[in-house]
Amino acid sequence: MAERERFDTTVLIVGAGPAGLATALRLTQLIHQHNSEIDHGSRQGRKLSTEEICILEKGREIGSHLLSGAVMDPRALRELLPEFDSVEGPESAPIACPVARDEVYYLTERGQWKLPILPPFFHNSGNKIVSLNRLGRWLGEKVEQSGATVFAGFAGRELVYEEGRVTGVLTDDKGVDRAGNHKSNFEPGYHVRARITVLAEGSRGSLAKQLLANTPPSRIPPGRSNPQTYAVGVKELWEIPSGRIEPGTVIHSAGWPLRSDQFGGGWLYAMPEGMISVGLVSGLDYRDPRFDPHTAFQRYKTHPLIRRILEGGKLVKYGAKSIPEGGWYSLPPLSLSGTLLVGDTAGFLNSQRLKGIHLAIKSGMLAAETIYQAMAADDFSDERMSEYALRVENSWIREELWPVRNFHQAMQNGLLRGGVHVALQLLTGGRGLYARYPSRPGNEHMAKLLQEAENIQPPLVPDGKLTFSKTTDVFHSATRHEENQPSHLLIADTNICNTRCTVEYGNPCQNFCPAAVYEMVEGKQRREIHLNPSNCVHCKTCDIMDPYQIITWVPPEGGGGPSYENL
Amino acid sequence: MKILVCLKQVSAKESTLRLSEDSLHVRESDLSFEINEPDTFALEEALRLKEQLGGEVVVVSLGPARIQTSIREALAKGADRGIHIETENAESVDRTWAAGLIAAAVREEKFDLVLTGLQSDDLGTGQTGVILAEFLGLPHATIIMEIQIEESRIKAKRELEGGWFEWVEMPLPALLTIQSGLNKPRYASLLGIKKAKSKEMRRVTPVELGAEVSGTNALRLRKIYVPVKSKNTEFLDGTPKEAAAKLVERIRREIVSSPS
Ligand SMILES: Cc1cc2nc3c(=O)[nH]c(=O)nc-3n(C[C@H](O)[C@H](O)[C@H](O)COP(=O)(O)OP(=O)(O)OC[C@H]3O[C@@H](n4cnc5c(N)ncnc54)[C@H](O)[C@@H]3O)c2cc1C
Repeated sequence: MAERERFDTTVLIVGAGPAGLATALRLTQLIHQHNSEIDHGSRQGRKLSTEEICILEKGREIGSHLLSGAVMDPRALRELLPEFDSVEGPESAPIACPVARDEVYYLTERGQWKLPILPPFFHNSGNKIVSLNRLGRWLGEKVEQSGATVFAGFAGRELVYEEGRVTGVLTDDKGVDRAGNHKSNFEPGYHVRARITVLAEGSRGSLAKQLLANTPPSRIPPGRSNPQTYAVGVKELWEIPSGRIEPGTVIHSAGWPLRSDQFGGGWLYAMPEGMISVGLVSGLDYRDPRFDPHTAFQRYKTHPLIRRILEGGKLVKYGAKSIPEGGWYSLPPLSLSGTLLVGDTAGFLNSQRLKGIHLAIKSGMLAAETIYQAMAADDFSDERMSEYALRVENSWIREELWPVRNFHQAMQNGLLRGGVHVALQLLTGGRGLYARYPSRPGNEHMAKLLQEAENIQPPLVPDGKLTFSKTTDVFHSATRHEENQPSHLLIADTNICNTRCTVEYGNPCQNFCPAAVYEMVEGKQRREIHLNPSNCVHCKTCDIMDPYQIITWVPPEGGGGPSYENL
Repeated sequence: MKILVCLKQVSAKESTLRLSEDSLHVRESDLSFEINEPDTFALEEALRLKEQLGGEVVVVSLGPARIQTSIREALAKGADRGIHIETENAESVDRTWAAGLIAAAVREEKFDLVLTGLQSDDLGTGQTGVILAEFLGLPHATIIMEIQIEESRIKAKRELEGGWFEWVEMPLPALLTIQSGLNKPRYASLLGIKKAKSKEMRRVTPVELGAEVSGTNALRLRKIYVPVKSKNTEFLDGTPKEAAAKLVERIRREIVSSPS
């Protein structure tokens, strides 16, 4: 490794999603309060500076890579910014509208069955429909005004260890060509050196993956040994003739087009001005290697329930992103040798409610409170940083996640068998039949082709009006990468792709990738894997679902990726 | 050498474009923004000249508060200071008005060289630079692919049609409008971004620049619309022979008989 220029800071936050931005904002609030108490003589000690906070964000701008549903539980945002919905003007958060009513359906191919009474976790009154991209941009402005620095277009590429402890990250090299040579505008990455590094990378963080791979099993908190499991959400934003559906209507559905042994479900949220958020979440622990989450979503839109709403409307945007679904028992250690894990990176997501924004914000705030104490005491020891885990234990995060700790595991075998367990869990405060329902990594559920000959879904021919091909959709994700750079999808051994995988699984990467990055093309003797990395929308599904676990997703040159305005 | 670079912030190329309700604009909330591409090459050229010859690079831009991110980006890449002319709307079609404001904001500073992009990715009029040259009383040349400074003169290579080019020469101070691709723009560095936070950004309003210029925003946009596509593909079915016969029939009927 070439010598890197060093950039010193106290607090480094990697990722400007709700978790990272809340960490920064809460910390600046505490610092401002601290300093004014010193000014007023009610506190002794040294002043702190918000300039000591840096955030790296791989997107070209804050929000470029933020995609969510999203129905947000406002609980955490209210704690962070109590005024967020009570004032007019730039102080008020960009909320599309409050939830007006909930509808939940069970779908079959042509039929629909509306749940007459909603289970408690489906109630959304008081919640808000938001675009996470816009919420992120708004929070980002507040963070920048508060004195912290956001470096947009910079990815944390590698963790730096000094004496076994993380002391920051290396940022991405810029201006490297496909073959690895420096271009004339080569700009080497920095070693951003920090006393504490907060990993707020969202689902399947690439630095967090490095960190956890280096963590001995003895550090895993007792009883929390389930591996993380994931789902992928494929989403489109539509504009339909207004007046067709009441803004604030929130529709969730289970069943078709997913098979009864699959985890997941669809959503449609209606916003003002005829804007519609529609999508499908598919568990990344399905059996059939031919399953394609993007095709399943396209099919979902052809159901009469959804078609009726979208028909005659226009596709505006597209995106896809993974979601951690493992819950409480999959949480890794929250503070680990110089790092804190917040938001989706840690796995704070309520999979029963499909909600993580409020938990991301709350966990960021708790991390900030821990860091503030460390700054004030000038002590960043592991012992002090481990207070973060205690704060989480004693917060409403645990109160919310504990009762649903077994939800996803029970549902891993699909809705029918899962439903029984979930009902039991509701009755027993989350325990169900077993204290801890175990789980396996999702990719291990994938069955080999031979075992799974039944039920091939006919391919779907997109009509270009209601249904679209992957390439059309990727165009609507506004994804752009510098073309001439090394691939950021590292395949350890492409021989496996071209031989074993073709026979055993039929190259499922072509199916699970929602952005047409992976293709099998005719080679000299056989079909060979070919990558289109510049299509990548950074959902990380390949890194998660590849049955041989030989694909590693690393951040491309900073600034590359989708541009998720209003998603 | 004291160099001025004019930057415009435009909607990013991949943005979804939907018309605003009044059909005078595209919806801002759908857009993300970036520095107009040719302007990034102009900036890079200015930074290189400064590295060679010493001096100062100043950037100026016109538009609402959001354009400050683009000025900051230029400062992060190495420009020394910025001038933000605060107007409601960067995309006013009246380029005389825009150039007039820029001229009023920078006239006193006596720049040796003014660089602009050759045209903007949004309106694409290609006028602002040349009108500015006129207002400042500078010689100018457009669509520049290479620059050579010789003492107090400048030689510039102009792109012509079909792969042709010409060299022009003029005395300094002068104004050039820059073609994309004449260099490889640098990236902003972490340190650059941090430093940019404390660089000077002068903010002025049209009123402060004098009524003389603010009054001339005379062009008005009436309506923008998406051009109607009139392509119409029809498939003639049947065997190749039958299809060919149908085609001949159609040509006879529709084309030959249409008035010439
Ligand atoms: C399809 C879908 C629907 C959802 N629906 C809802 C909903 O209705 N309600 C709800 O509450 N929640 C919902 N969620 C979950 C919610 O979006 C997440 O829980 C939340 O976004 C997590 O926030 P975060 O800050 O942890 O991560 P993210 O929002 O993922 O943000 C992470 C940020 O870090 C950046 N980053 C990542 N790695 C690096 C790196 N190495 N270097 C630099 N930057 C990096 C990313 O670009 C990104 O900007 C949904 C999620 C999905 C995918």
